[in-house]
Amino acid sequence: MLDLDIRKMGDHIQKYANDNDMNLKNSFWKKNIRNLPGRASPKKESKSVSSSASTSFDDFQESVSDAWEIEAEDEILRISDVKISKRVAHSAAVNVINNHKASIEEIHKSKNYSNSDPQGESSSQTNKESRNTENRVNFSNSEVDTNKLTKFQVLLESNLLNLDDLKKLSWSGVPVEIRPMTWRLLAGYLPTSAERRQEALDRKRIDYANLVKQYYDTDKDEVYKDIYRQIHIDIPRMSTPLFQQTTVQEMFERILFIWAIRHPASGYVQGMNDLVTPFYVVFLQEYLPIGTNIETLDVSSISKKNRDSLEADSFWCLSKFLDGIQDNYIFAQLGIQYKVNQLKELIQRIDGALHEHLMKHGIDYLQFSFRWMNNLLTRELPLRCSIRLWDTYLAESDRFATFQLYVCAAFLLHWRLELLEEKDFQGLMLMLQNLQTQNWTDTEISLLVAEAYRLKFTFADAPNHLTTKR
Amino acid sequence: MGTGDEEYDYLFKVVLIGDSGVGKSNLLARFTRNEFNLESKSTIGVEFATRSIKVNKKIIKAQIWDTAGQERYRAITSAYYRGAVGALLVYDIAKQLTYQNVERWLSELRDHADQNIVIMLVGNKSDLRHLRAVPADEATAFAEANNLSFIETSALDSTNVETAFENILTEIYNIVSQKQMRDPPEGDTIRPTNIEPIDVKPTVNSDNVRKQCCQSS
Repeated sequence: MLDLDIRKMGDHIQKYANDNDMNLKNSFWKKNIRNLPGRASPKKESKSVSSSASTSFDDFQESVSDAWEIEAEDEILRISDVKISKRVAHSAAVNVINNHKASIEEIHKSKNYSNSDPQGESSSQTNKESRNTENRVNFSNSEVDTNKLTKFQVLLESNLLNLDDLKKLSWSGVPVEIRPMTWRLLAGYLPTSAERRQEALDRKRIDYANLVKQYYDTDKDEVYKDIYRQIHIDIPRMSTPLFQQTTVQEMFERILFIWAIRHPASGYVQGMNDLVTPFYVVFLQEYLPIGTNIETLDVSSISKKNRDSLEADSFWCLSKFLDGIQDNYIFAQLGIQYKVNQLKELIQRIDGALHEHLMKHGIDYLQFSFRWMNNLLTRELPLRCSIRLWDTYLAESDRFATFQLYVCAAFLLHWRLELLEEKDFQGLMLMLQNLQTQNWTDTEISLLVAEAYRLKFTFADAPNHLTTKR
Repeated sequence: MGTGDEEYDYLFKVVLIGDSGVGKSNLLARFTRNEFNLESKSTIGVEFATRSIKVNKKIIKAQIWDTAGQERYRAITSAYYRGAVGALLVYDIAKQLTYQNVERWLSELRDHADQNIVIMLVGNKSDLRHLRAVPADEATAFAEANNLSFIETSALDSTNVETAFENILTEIYNIVSQKQMRDPPEGDTIRPTNIEPIDVKPTVNSDNVRKQCCQSS
């Protein structure tokens, strides 16, 4: 098992090296707009983007086609020079969301969903009640309509799940009632065949229990002791009351420890605990009545069997999730350094004024965006928003590592006006370290990912139309 | 917070280093915001804060970089040593291992920081008297042997936190001002402020320091 992991890690490193090679040859943002033999043409690129699983955003394309008609290279060139106002971007994103809602309504088959509600509760009532509880994790759908839930349920109940459809539907947010099952499927943890699902789930949970017996409950090797020590220092430092419970801390320690020793090239890296949290909290909700405030919940009141399932599911989904971004956590965190550079080049290209402002005051992108990448924005956002963001990350599956770069870019651009008002290094740094997202809801995240999608669509792998000098 | 327009005479960049969980972030929070958080989250990469103090009627602004303690972050955090004129090397007086690792941190500094960097050894969590694992005289002797200053602090009850930062900033100030008297830097008359970021190699960071200082004048 360990051998496999090492080999896999080797592949990762090799892949990184290749990427890097390509980077040297073409540069990430190709500097040359001439057609080179063998290089993908921008047309082809845009086609491949639109035919991918993210086509739930075909409507996005349509809604902004007047502004973004990509027909010829010089067209792209022109576009790149257009300063996209925040207002335009915002209204485009709102259009996307509205279009999406409308399209769901069209296909909506009227069906009384509450019968099949897994929690057996009327959730719509809870929705209204907890809409204003901004500072805790929202277990109810405040912004997703019941039509969407129905559509999800039709998909989830089919004998052979169409995973692409599920991804499309999930991209813009998963209703809270069916989020746990949806995440398991999106993460590739459970099979698409409905009849094999329970069996697979049981087997994986047993597998995890065995891993715990094999690695955690036995005497630990000296190398493993270091890993354990570090995890053991970090877990009690997760500040919310939920994580102050010994039961919860031990669950996290086991998850992270076993993940770390199964991935020796990266091991445990501080901050990974924050990546377990969304999975843990979402799966935890399955064992609670909808609307339960997890901050006051005593996790040891949940049965041992259910706690074990919760832990195993969190572990396996975390593993699937981290598979795509392992180079973020290897020696020197090369994956992150690479992405920070990409972020810098991207911002330089799409918002020269902001980039120049940051440069002028001596801000280095690594200084603020390292944490964004390392913790996938979990430190910058309230937990409920991270969970909504995870819907999209999981729906992006293999492409999520790249997509996250554009989410970070959209996130930075969101604050451009405030940042431009800061007139020195200190003000900028303090603001960037402490961006005010406390009142953010699903709406802000939906706009954020829509903007990220637009950026990716417009700029990913497109020929360079950079006019600024370096 | 964030009003960088305040006047100051000197700007010193200082780094906080040491093992995970010794209390670096809380020392910084106590010094810059007078806050303490028993369950403060692990630092990812680096974090920044600042505070100005008065030494000899001069205003000294400290730009402090708090670094993540885990080894995996070393490649990222060591980049911040460049341009730093001071380092607080922190260990936990109740955890022997964090003290043993001080040697490793010193060699990190030797490898990545300027050779003239002023280093202060800080034994934090002095409030945990009953759990003490590192005797103060042992640390004092070690500090003397390695030409470091030494202090014990408690970010929790505030003991010596101000003093620690004041001492290191004063020490840096003394070196800088003596050096200026000895050999006034060229072009000093052109620069309106007395900025002289010790004898460090020109790096991006120290350039920024200069730029900033000039802006504020």
